[in-house]
Amino acid sequence: MSHGQDEASQESLLLAHLERIDGVQSGFYAIHIHLSQLRSGNRKPHYLRIAARAFENLLNNFEATLFQFHSADFLLICREVPIEEVDPVIYKLRALFNEDPLTLGEEGSLDDRFTTWYDLSQGRDYSTLKEMAAELAEEDENRRTKKAEAKAAGEASAMQGEDLNPGNLAAINRNLEGVRIIDLIHQQTAVEVVPGGKGNVLFREHYVSMFDLQKRIAPDVNLFGSSWLFQFLTETLDHRVLAVVARWDFEEMKSPISLNLNVSTILAKEFQHFHNNVGANTSKVVVEIQMIDIFSDMGAFAYARDTLQGSGYKVLVDGLSPLSLQFFEPGLLGADFVKINWSREFLGEVPSDRIVEMGKVVEQTGKDKLILSRVDSEDAIKWGLSLGITRYQGRYIDKVVNAMVSKGVI
Amino acid sequence: MAVDASKRLPSQENLLLDYVRRLEDHKEGRKAVRLHISKLKSYNRRDHHIRAASNSFESLIKTLKGQLFVLKNSDMFFIYKGEAHTQTETVVQKVRYLFSDDPLLEEGKDSGVFTIWFDVQTDYSEILHIVQGLVDEEKKRATEVSSRMDTRAALKAKQEQGEPLTPEVLERVETALQRTDLSSLVRRQFVCSIDKKMVPEPVFSELFISIKDLRETLLPGVNLLSNRWLFQHLTETLDRRMLAMLSKTDTFTISGDISFNLNISTLLSSEFQLFDDNITAARRGGMIIELQKVDIFADLGAYLFSREFVQEKGYRVCLDGMTYQTLPFIERKRLGVDLIKVFWDGEMVDGGEKMSAQIKEMVENAGDSKIVLCRVDTREAIDFGHSVGFKLFQGRHVESLIAEDTRRRELLRLKMRMERSEAPPED
Repeated sequence: MSHGQDEASQESLLLAHLERIDGVQSGFYAIHIHLSQLRSGNRKPHYLRIAARAFENLLNNFEATLFQFHSADFLLICREVPIEEVDPVIYKLRALFNEDPLTLGEEGSLDDRFTTWYDLSQGRDYSTLKEMAAELAEEDENRRTKKAEAKAAGEASAMQGEDLNPGNLAAINRNLEGVRIIDLIHQQTAVEVVPGGKGNVLFREHYVSMFDLQKRIAPDVNLFGSSWLFQFLTETLDHRVLAVVARWDFEEMKSPISLNLNVSTILAKEFQHFHNNVGANTSKVVVEIQMIDIFSDMGAFAYARDTLQGSGYKVLVDGLSPLSLQFFEPGLLGADFVKINWSREFLGEVPSDRIVEMGKVVEQTGKDKLILSRVDSEDAIKWGLSLGITRYQGRYIDKVVNAMVSKGVI
Repeated sequence: MAVDASKRLPSQENLLLDYVRRLEDHKEGRKAVRLHISKLKSYNRRDHHIRAASNSFESLIKTLKGQLFVLKNSDMFFIYKGEAHTQTETVVQKVRYLFSDDPLLEEGKDSGVFTIWFDVQTDYSEILHIVQGLVDEEKKRATEVSSRMDTRAALKAKQEQGEPLTPEVLERVETALQRTDLSSLVRRQFVCSIDKKMVPEPVFSELFISIKDLRETLLPGVNLLSNRWLFQHLTETLDRRMLAMLSKTDTFTISGDISFNLNISTLLSSEFQLFDDNITAARRGGMIIELQKVDIFADLGAYLFSREFVQEKGYRVCLDGMTYQTLPFIERKRLGVDLIKVFWDGEMVDGGEKMSAQIKEMVENAGDSKIVLCRVDTREAIDFGHSVGFKLFQGRHVESLIAEDTRRRELLRLKMRMERSEAPPED
């Protein structure tokens, strides 16, 4: 199951396997399971490991071989295995991913994009699969060469290294307490799109780029390696950011700003200090609070929200995905804004009844409260508009805003 | 979590203000009376006094003649229909009688000090002014308390519960945990159905590691709960130890269905795979995995995947840690959990009829065999639970009911044996 550098790739093993049965394919068949087409969130390595285990019985008791491609696809080759033995396994896999649009098509129907079956005793199916295997094996070879070259050149991809753990956390937290932070604070504008191609600035979010922060305080540690310990670090980060922002002149500020804060920070002394500095300009500050924080102590959140709103701040609930809209109504949280993180995987594919349901949630939450963020393309805006959303934030919006500024329509 | 900072509901002051505002168009024929309980001596202002006084209004409230508001300072506002004036006077007289030993109400006194009567139509603006003042005062008090709480609470927590948990300490605990035998720290608590006669019938039992005892064993002087995120990480280590213990069936002879808490990250780990490999399919059916709500919302996708994964294997899934505040957000059926646990909270009763109706609806939606009221430590909790449709309960009070029930059965058996031995021989 490993993809070690020196081991033969699963793709080339498949090719070898197919060549071995050339001429004696009678009784052989194959099932290609297109897990690479799952939404990226559903393609995590531990999910795939669990999915692979569903085949264990089959592999132990029958003449069956499973190949797991680098792309995340699975390919099962069987010889004289009763279909009734295979069906439940495939069914189990579909169930595991049943929130994913990939599994929506009915098994065997034209819409079924989850599996492709090959009868290898038929020459045509056999050669199709063999061609595919040859192609995959070659692709994989190229990929390995490139990776080896990159490694030699010393390139490292984002957030690699040891996971955050209690052992390295203390040192990282100390680094965070002492590190220069002001130049890591970036900003991004959230806008309301109004008819006539114009836009209104809602606020400018000020945030610390985690990627930059990692490079500065813990170059060899993946800060996202433990969600709980990461959350702990954000509490320290809050205090650092608040100390910087508290020195700003809110009187002179033209458009509102937003800050990401933990509930515990809002209830702490540091916020009092910040509040004193903001003075009568509380309406220029939006406080963004994460879902995970809210659900960890709803009572504390409600208290913080009331305190903030009572003093004139705006409260924003962050950390939702289109998926979460299918499970609860963010409107009940009593915030002024709700932010939904767009991601490419929600394009198309989603059946219309779910879209209708999401539309209802959007309606109930209040369209003027919803902001679609991480907008990276026009497609995202189209998707948002189809649900009635008119407030946006993201890389693509940054470009639009720049264009608007130069045209003077914002 | 046991460290809930502050709960916030619309206060009675706010509800009263809301009510008075809505009265604006229905002033005619309405009357109101304010009882200054706050001016009584403190020995007359204990909980049971307040309860007795407010109970006196019950029949009027039940017949929809009026509405009672009990404020933070214990003062009462009763707003009623003019037709019930005589009845109200009688009730107020009864309340005054309750406190007749108080200097404020000594013979001949109280010319408008303890009781103040209003005619809503003519005194509306005065009432509105008073109530608005009460709300402002309450808000001010709450803010003062919260800012004072900050340092004070931190100091108090430190004295009572020990030094806060830090990453360094966490590392030490987690290392120590790997070589400590935790089986003596495992506790068991039953989830029971309880009938109106308060007879408990166990349905399943939860196994958990006592955090209090763990702290005393491993780290006296450290408050493990002081940082929820570090604590949450610690639970991942506890998960693995629990799984290891459950795998060793010889050390654990557990009868009946059991439940235990796990993190979603644990369900997706190789430790869980190993655990699962070593237990029989039949045992899986008797196991309920409890997941924390914060874990579910931290990564909804991971939750959906792992729920499907374990349910398919035959385990049942329970959503733990719900409160009356989070319950409205969750539809059990939509999240696909088999069971929900809701924490008991005295505020459920304080929320009045409206909240009761809401909770009742939520229990109905979930299905009464699918929802457990837990952390039940008083009789009141069970009474309230029954009144809104709960059938299943868990907590210290349930444990004492079980003990009581066992004692009773024991006595009964003893009595029967005695009767039998006293009976004359049959020949």
